[in-house]
Amino acid sequence: MAQPALLHSHSVLPSTTTTSPAHRRASQFGRLAAPRRRRNLRPMASATVQAPPGLKEGIAGLYDESSGVWESIWGDHMHHGFYDSGEAASMADHRRAQIRMIEEALAFAAVPDDPEKQPKTIVDVGCGIGGSSRYLANKYGAQCNGITLSPVQAERGNALAAAQGLSDKVSLQVADALEQPFPDGQFDLVWSMESGEHMPDKRKFVSEMARVAAPGATIIIVTWCHRNLEPSENSLKPDELNLLKRICDAYYLPDWCSPSDYVNIAKSLSLEDIKTADWSENVAPFWPAVIRSALTWKGITSLLKSGWKTIRGALVMPLMIEGYKKGLIKFTVITCRKPRAA
Amino acid sequence: MRLLTHNMLASNVRGVTSGFPLKLEPVKWCTKEVELNADFIRGMLPKIDWKALVAATRALGLPELLPEEQPAEDEIFAEGAADVEGSAIRRIHHALLEIHIEEGTLVCPESSRAFPIDKGIPNMMLHEDEV
Repeated sequence: MAQPALLHSHSVLPSTTTTSPAHRRASQFGRLAAPRRRRNLRPMASATVQAPPGLKEGIAGLYDESSGVWESIWGDHMHHGFYDSGEAASMADHRRAQIRMIEEALAFAAVPDDPEKQPKTIVDVGCGIGGSSRYLANKYGAQCNGITLSPVQAERGNALAAAQGLSDKVSLQVADALEQPFPDGQFDLVWSMESGEHMPDKRKFVSEMARVAAPGATIIIVTWCHRNLEPSENSLKPDELNLLKRICDAYYLPDWCSPSDYVNIAKSLSLEDIKTADWSENVAPFWPAVIRSALTWKGITSLLKSGWKTIRGALVMPLMIEGYKKGLIKFTVITCRKPRAA
Repeated sequence: MRLLTHNMLASNVRGVTSGFPLKLEPVKWCTKEVELNADFIRGMLPKIDWKALVAATRALGLPELLPEEQPAEDEIFAEGAADVEGSAIRRIHHALLEIHIEEGTLVCPESSRAFPIDKGIPNMMLHEDEV
């Protein structure tokens, strides 16, 4: 999906105030072609939330378009790597760190290693090209169903599973995480690795995960949140909302919530053993590495061959760094358990 | 799509209370050999809805593949059964894992909503008015 016009335009990207070298170089790649969607910045509502028009198509389109680029640079896991705080990250470490992220989440949730108690059926909600699905299926000898909005990702993920001899255990489907196509109580482990950000209705998202969880099953959500509000606050500050809006527009993200919002949703669904942790420091080393890789020859040529959506996603990395430094965005792990049958 | 996957999918149309099992209408399918893993089958069997699995094999025109009633566990996992042609475990393995539906439809038993299977992937996305 090359966009040759980008190479000739002089216009500067609107609404970016960072002046990092990466950003100045990137601004030569052209003007913002896609119109900005008008966004409603109301606070988290508890009533049913309608997805903004075009959100699901936008998400599917983004991943249909950018999945190949991401995979060629980062491999088959589409999530952040887990680093020790302050560690320097590099391309060579990244895959190891992505695997460590999975293992840290499993350890945090105390998923049993005992063969008798290991999960036998797993759902990967927002599965990308199935990196987590394949890893978990391999680790536990379990059957894993993944769901994604992107037909391109589902196809690619199934092909990768076949190539790795995992096609009996791993199966990716096109489906909506807010309307999971599974009966109640099906899965021993319900997994969502960095997909929660895309869900326009956080309550529905968690409630579907709880519904398809078997009694006693573990639910693990690793996702981006904004900081918890102080007791005196009704919403984030205007400059914080502005920064979030710019990040969200680039990644087809609906409104964010806080870790406390997730905890409250889990409590309201009578889920047990609810725990959260802030892993922001453990993913921060990733972004400079992404920016460096985007500026390599391979990175640039890949980006230029892909569409505007992918490029815009890459260029927003400095905004993530800004949000992290301001304590606005939090990389959060949330785990809980479906109660055992009475 | 394998029949193992079919056995785990349900219709999610709003208002439907019994959306399982989805009726299988295969159009194009094939078989691919997969190594038999008895432990995996042992782990999956408690989760399998036998009637739904048998119905799916019938929809594929394979009435002889599986019996109406699920065989006893000690028959399925008997010593050496995996090496015996036509044994219960081999039939179950074949049904669950070796049949690939490339094109077809999954039909909601209650609402008759048809979910397409394209390039082996079921598309379970609902339209706005079905949610």
